[in-house]
Amino acid sequence: MSRRVVVTGAGAVSPIGIGVDEFWRQCLQGKSSVALIPTYWQLYAEPYSRIWSPLPEIDPESMGVARTERLQLDPVTVLALGAAREAIKHAGFTLVPVKEHTHAFRLTEADSARSGVYIGTGLGGAITFLQNHTYHLLKKPREALASYAQKHGSSGNPVMLESILGLMTHGLRFNPFEVSMVMPNAPAAALGIKYTLTGPNVTHCVACASGTVAIGNAYRAVREGRVDVAVSGGCEYFGDEHGHIFRSFDVSGTLVRDCVNPDTANRPFDTRRSGFLFSQGGAAVLVLEELEHAKRRGAVVIAEVIGFSETFDAHSIMSLAPGGEQIERMIRETLTDAGLSPNDVDYINAHGTGTRNNDEIETAVIERVFGQSVRVNSTKSLLGHTIGASGAFEALVTALSLRDGTTHICKNLETPLRDLNFVRRVEHCDLRVGLSQSFAFGGHNAAVIMSRFS
Amino acid sequence: MNVSVQQRVLKVISEVIDRKENEIHPDVDIRNDLQLDSLQQMTLFIALEDEFQRSIPTEEAAGLVTVKDIIDFIDRKLQETTSV
Repeated sequence: MSRRVVVTGAGAVSPIGIGVDEFWRQCLQGKSSVALIPTYWQLYAEPYSRIWSPLPEIDPESMGVARTERLQLDPVTVLALGAAREAIKHAGFTLVPVKEHTHAFRLTEADSARSGVYIGTGLGGAITFLQNHTYHLLKKPREALASYAQKHGSSGNPVMLESILGLMTHGLRFNPFEVSMVMPNAPAAALGIKYTLTGPNVTHCVACASGTVAIGNAYRAVREGRVDVAVSGGCEYFGDEHGHIFRSFDVSGTLVRDCVNPDTANRPFDTRRSGFLFSQGGAAVLVLEELEHAKRRGAVVIAEVIGFSETFDAHSIMSLAPGGEQIERMIRETLTDAGLSPNDVDYINAHGTGTRNNDEIETAVIERVFGQSVRVNSTKSLLGHTIGASGAFEALVTALSLRDGTTHICKNLETPLRDLNFVRRVEHCDLRVGLSQSFAFGGHNAAVIMSRFS
Repeated sequence: MNVSVQQRVLKVISEVIDRKENEIHPDVDIRNDLQLDSLQQMTLFIALEDEFQRSIPTEEAAGLVTVKDIIDFIDRKLQETTSV
């Protein structure tokens, strides 16, 4: 008989709040984080999209990350460590310092060799790469130009020279830890080091499906007896100084175009949707645990994970396959994995990006498989798209929705593109089973199914 | 020796080697006495850059032997007008 897998802890660092309680409270209030992009970015490019979903101010030390650690970690890893710390403590593990004056801990009541880490990220430490590359590229030319301006500026155009120098900004240093900061496995590795988790340490790098695939594989590892505890989730950080990553998504035509009213511009599943809201990032982490292991230590269960599957479109590196056949197969395989039929599912946390293509294909598949009565919402209507963290945030929302018998609205949905049961108001409802699905650049599709714990 | 700079340098060193500030004497050799390995030395210098917001090029850091050398070096850096 398969081992049962339960969620016993959760952590979140999100654009709408830090900490799971704050995150969930803001979700149920339909809070989003929308702002105009930094003016400074527009000195380098004229983007089509003009808004993003920024994170609140992050204090690494309050998340247990000391300065000497922070300086060796990309922000994406700091976010992952922050969410993981909350999740591990929330799960009821006590953190014991490995030795005096150290920043590393071990978990009480867990065998470190039977505890694994499964973390998803889309671009890993991209910000560090950009920072170091900017320094590498601009340090010497900037010095040369500044020297020229000092010697000859008055005979030329000093205002223009100052303006150019102002654009050639770079950091204090070429960080000697770059390689270990940039590598996509850094968040998972740092987490394993910080909490002395010596079981499998796996990074899932599948763009927007990274968080879902990480949690799904963690679920399988616990279910199949490879580990008893799995710290799993997703993380992303896209707040580079010059708006380079924003531009990458913008020129590919994926970001929200109609920004006249920033507060209502992000509208997944609406006929007037115009792209997704770019997010600065975030991290969400779930502690998955074998049920008997959780019971023995008196852990409080949030929800149970009961199924997972993933498929691949083999169609296009950037577009969903038009018919959604592999998405449908993925959903049906996930249901089979959970031993359920479509009628058993009460709630779908959709991928719901707000792009023309995604929402059209996703709603068609949902209607084909589940009909029109299943509740559907999009957490991206609140957070924007956090890419590698998105699936983890959405799994977290699914778990909390099942726990509390309620879920958040699909924000800014005025004219639905299809007649589905989109969540329009927060109300108590009998949610027994929820499915959270993600699709990704490359062609990756994945879903996890959770049930209310009883 | 600038006392304020000295206190801040000792604080940074104590973060890197997890030793109390009052246990670190300015005359000690950071490599031979404090036994900072190469990774700890890199950590120390980027932490000092963070603390004082001044660049410490690798070639200049290599010439700093004692804690006092670092304090004096930082003191000189702070007296320069530009931060980058």
